[in-house]
Amino acid sequence: MTVDSLDPDDVDAADILGSAIERREDPALLTGNAEYTDDIQIDGMLHMAVVRSQYGHAKLEGVDTSEAEAMDGVHGVYTYEDLVSDETPGGGSFALPTAWLLDSLKQVEHPVLASDKVRHQGDGIAVVVAEDRYTARDAAGAVDVEYERLDAVVHPSEAFSDDAEQLHDDAEDNVAFDWEIGDAEKTADAFADASHTASIDLDNQLLIANAMEPRAAVADYNPGTDELDVAMTTQNPHVHRLLMAGVLGHPEHKLSVRAPDVGGGFGSKIHHYADEALVAWCSMMHEGPIKWTATRSETYLTDAPGRGHETKAEIAMDDDGNIVGLRVDTMANLGAYLSTFAPAVPTYLYGTLLSGQYDIPAIYGHVKGAFTNVPPVDAYRGAGRPEASFLVERLVHLGAKEMGMDPVEFRKQNFVPDDAFPYETQVAVVYDSGEYTKPMDEALEMLDYENFREEQERARDEGKYLGVGFSCYIEACGLAPSELAGQLGAQAGLWESSLVRMHPSGTVTAYCGTSGHGQGHGTTYAQIVANELGVPYDSVEVVEGDTDEIPQGMGTYGSRSAAVGGSSLVKSAQKVVEKGKEIAAHQLEADPEDIEFENGEYSVAGAPDRSMSMADVAGAAYLAHDIPDEMEPGLEATSFYDPDNFVFPFGTHAAIVEVDPDSGEIEIERYVAVDDVGNQINPKIVEGQIHGGIAQGVGQALYEGAEYDDNATLMTGSMQDYAVPKAEHVPEMETGATVTPSPHNPLGVKGVGEAGTIAAPQAIVNAVADALEPFGVDHIDMPMDAESVWSAVQANATADGGAEPGSDDADHGGER
Amino acid sequence: MTEHDITLTVNGAEHDLTVEARTLLVHALRDELGYTGTNVGCESSLCGACTVRMDGEAVKSCTTLAVQADGAEIRTVEDLGTRHDFHPIQEGFQEEHGLQCGYCTPGMMMTALDILEENPDPTREEIREGLEGNLCRCTGYQNIVNAVQNAAEQMQPAAVADGGETDDDGPTPATDGGEKQ
Amino acid sequence: MEFSGTFELEDTTVDEVWLALSDPVLVQESLPGCTFLLHVEGEEADFDELAEQASELDRELTNDPEVIAQRAFKEGERYAALMQVSVGPVNPTFETVVTIDERDRPRMDASGEGSSGDSSFEMSSSMALSETDDGDGVAVEWETQADVFGKVAGMGQRVINPVANRIVKRFFSSVQEELHDLGVGEVSTSDGDESDGRSLVDRVLGRSKSTDSE
Repeated sequence: MTVDSLDPDDVDAADILGSAIERREDPALLTGNAEYTDDIQIDGMLHMAVVRSQYGHAKLEGVDTSEAEAMDGVHGVYTYEDLVSDETPGGGSFALPTAWLLDSLKQVEHPVLASDKVRHQGDGIAVVVAEDRYTARDAAGAVDVEYERLDAVVHPSEAFSDDAEQLHDDAEDNVAFDWEIGDAEKTADAFADASHTASIDLDNQLLIANAMEPRAAVADYNPGTDELDVAMTTQNPHVHRLLMAGVLGHPEHKLSVRAPDVGGGFGSKIHHYADEALVAWCSMMHEGPIKWTATRSETYLTDAPGRGHETKAEIAMDDDGNIVGLRVDTMANLGAYLSTFAPAVPTYLYGTLLSGQYDIPAIYGHVKGAFTNVPPVDAYRGAGRPEASFLVERLVHLGAKEMGMDPVEFRKQNFVPDDAFPYETQVAVVYDSGEYTKPMDEALEMLDYENFREEQERARDEGKYLGVGFSCYIEACGLAPSELAGQLGAQAGLWESSLVRMHPSGTVTAYCGTSGHGQGHGTTYAQIVANELGVPYDSVEVVEGDTDEIPQGMGTYGSRSAAVGGSSLVKSAQKVVEKGKEIAAHQLEADPEDIEFENGEYSVAGAPDRSMSMADVAGAAYLAHDIPDEMEPGLEATSFYDPDNFVFPFGTHAAIVEVDPDSGEIEIERYVAVDDVGNQINPKIVEGQIHGGIAQGVGQALYEGAEYDDNATLMTGSMQDYAVPKAEHVPEMETGATVTPSPHNPLGVKGVGEAGTIAAPQAIVNAVADALEPFGVDHIDMPMDAESVWSAVQANATADGGAEPGSDDADHGGER
Repeated sequence: MTEHDITLTVNGAEHDLTVEARTLLVHALRDELGYTGTNVGCESSLCGACTVRMDGEAVKSCTTLAVQADGAEIRTVEDLGTRHDFHPIQEGFQEEHGLQCGYCTPGMMMTALDILEENPDPTREEIREGLEGNLCRCTGYQNIVNAVQNAAEQMQPAAVADGGETDDDGPTPATDGGEKQ
Repeated sequence: MEFSGTFELEDTTVDEVWLALSDPVLVQESLPGCTFLLHVEGEEADFDELAEQASELDRELTNDPEVIAQRAFKEGERYAALMQVSVGPVNPTFETVVTIDERDRPRMDASGEGSSGDSSFEMSSSMALSETDDGDGVAVEWETQADVFGKVAGMGQRVINPVANRIVKRFFSSVQEELHDLGVGEVSTSDGDESDGRSLVDRVLGRSKSTDSE
């Protein structure tokens, strides 16, 4: 069902939280008044371009910048030697750090410009500063780089092979880490005792985020004050400031990072890349403003791709169809260097989700990370959790088939029961709350599942192959508490910070350390704060994405903003309300204990006519003529909210597809999504997040994949070759929702940003496998293009004695 | 590099400027004239973020040279309604939550106007086909399709009154900036 | 990436085609976008020097086997070519060095690499000539394995493949034209210079002994 949006003016103040109001961000975005980074124009601004490696792997034999330097309009050309020279600004590491460590992790050097070796196509070699962007690019093309090409590796399995070229001297056999979770012995026993098993070998392909706005930065260094301002495409300005301060050796308090309007991120704007630090350095070097905007080709070569797993996994069942064990062995592609959060993605964001929605008594996961010659791999929407959910749901599909059970029945039988929450899995996390049958049942009703099975039978008789696929996903968002994150290897706390400031007139500015880039935080946060303070929604302004304005912050990723940032705003607002209570008590000559606060009014219990509005209290707080002794004037509060646990959204997605075994074409007939993201602050925004997430999941299932040739040259380096789904490619989505509040944050919210992307791929692959069951096709790697589907049908038709397309066998071969 | 003197009429305002032969229309609009509402997404005409209307037709300004646009009337997102007086297409996008990060939106709206001009009452499939050259990574397109339908409904009565011609200026007062149909 | 194909030249013989394809001057003239194609004398191919050399050279197309013999490709030797190629919106000029790995009529293998600022390629190629079934022409079977790097590689196979095919097609069409215009091979091939036991034509044709030819 579609959520209808509301004009905020038509919503009662008391109902603002939970209303599907229109977004306040939209007018600027719809009138061309938004300010994206590349929109910034400063007088005298120069432009930077980066000279990038054309090879996936090579030794640098020489870099001749003379021709570029001699060009008209060129102000400077710099290599690694210039960065680290004593004669130039900054005394930092000029190497990009990793913010997540693992015991076995090999930390390798990642210089912001290559010094002796390039390890992926697009690795930076030199930068050019010039008068305009065309000249800068021309000059970059005129830098003459001499290489000695080396053999490259693309996939982890190649990287680990004996004859593979080693990327880093200190990472033997290209092993970045070797990590495990769960209980190997217990799981081995479970498999030994099991009566049924099913297994799968799969590749979860590399994807490129393709935010519509390419990465960009404008840095402006003021030599008079030594202040360096950087406006950039970031999801987490404070994190970027901290990291960049170390990279450049410029003090954190003299560095300001601001996110103007940001045109999507999907993870790709979390990480600290070389380019943004280079612009900042060039600005110090030239003592003035410099802009760099990636071309789309550059984003393909340098934005951190996501996923990239080669996995063998198996599931074990007892005679009754109870899952008794799950075992996973994954080789994860980390690319050429360790990106900011890369080590966390295929480990703690992946292994901890291997129990899915199921009560599984024994689980073991083993992950080996590989250095390869693709760009550094890091979080892309879902980050580790889609890989886990895909694997679990594919195994459950195959487990049901092995048991001869209906996939719905098999799932329901194995769901973590409602009364088991909080539920501790075998893989180190405790699910906060869940009722897994609820979204499943709603999805079944929306699908009219029983009828569909009959229709499927009839269709097969007519030589038409329909299939239904389920995805009962779980995700973990708002990674926390910080102490746990620290134990797992995070080099940062994962709290969120906010400041709620009442102005003397009674209006409010709310500052939050998250940094939205399309999610509508300005709207949802205002709903939260207006609700807490009882002030009109229009009286609340939200400020995000600026280290100069917001005290501290960790940023927006991992579907954490509502659960962690939103909760922090609640805490700050509550502190404001508490202080206000003392002021009101003082002014109303009552005991603070007797002051009640409701709908923005402070009143004395039992004497409702003795009351003050929030605005009046704010006025009094700043007038400070008559406030309690010892109390400081003013009315604002800061909080650092560190959650007790992750939140665990869940849901059931289901796809119905028709597959033409003769052509290999897949048509998504229906797509049903029932998500439980806890309480919803703005259901219209929630719906939008689900839609967009599903579209990216559909993209992974059917269209997208970063492909590299044997030399690690990207073969899908443009929107012509990398198939970002178009409007015609995305099905109409039918959405539903259940609400199981999270018990441990004040909003009861769970997080929604990644749900669709996590859920969708396996719904579609399971549906295709269901449709092709008569042909004995169990699995097709993504993206499932017509050729791969056709080949799978053909291979099974001949190898397994399965039916051939159009044969009588196929027509009657279907079984549930 | 050869330079050329050209004249661009953008949203009704005439601008004389000197550009290099290779200067893209989108860079002339953004960097030279300050119309930054039009965004650059791919520089290869595949994503549609840079779509503007040139002499009444939607064109990709990232693969149109500024010199090719010499003498043309260009219409950009800045010429639609203001926040207090939205054009129906803006209204549609706001009401239907047809945008998230907003980066593709100006181009998306320009293409949508093209679609509605050719077909004032398009089906969902026709809208999806019409948006083939415009990519959005945030919304999954469903609410964009809703937005275009919403705008079509708003623009319908005017079209009937107008004798079947859609008026893509919608409720915005007609100015010199209104392009020739 | 791999490319291969067969091109049929009409109304000619294997010997004629072999002779034509042995001549760097004819190859240079036939290769679209090729500014020069020269033998590399020293260790390094200095393209500035080669360009100068090319501008001073006065080489002409000829049908005279004597002249061709003197400049014919030699096995194990390296040749430098400056080639401009239109790939999508860009026109990179590749500095290319090719080694003739094997030259044994009717087959020739070569490998090489070319670079142009932010793009480069490495390739190995082979070509074999045979009489067409109708006996009226020559089939040139060719295959190339190429690795493309950098900006040009980023344009993808959909762009690169047609470019490669276009170059090959134009090349052979042009060879065919030159064959006819010049009448290469129409000079008598019997008045051999027997000084080293091989006829001149045999030498040009890359035959080890004249008896090897039909």
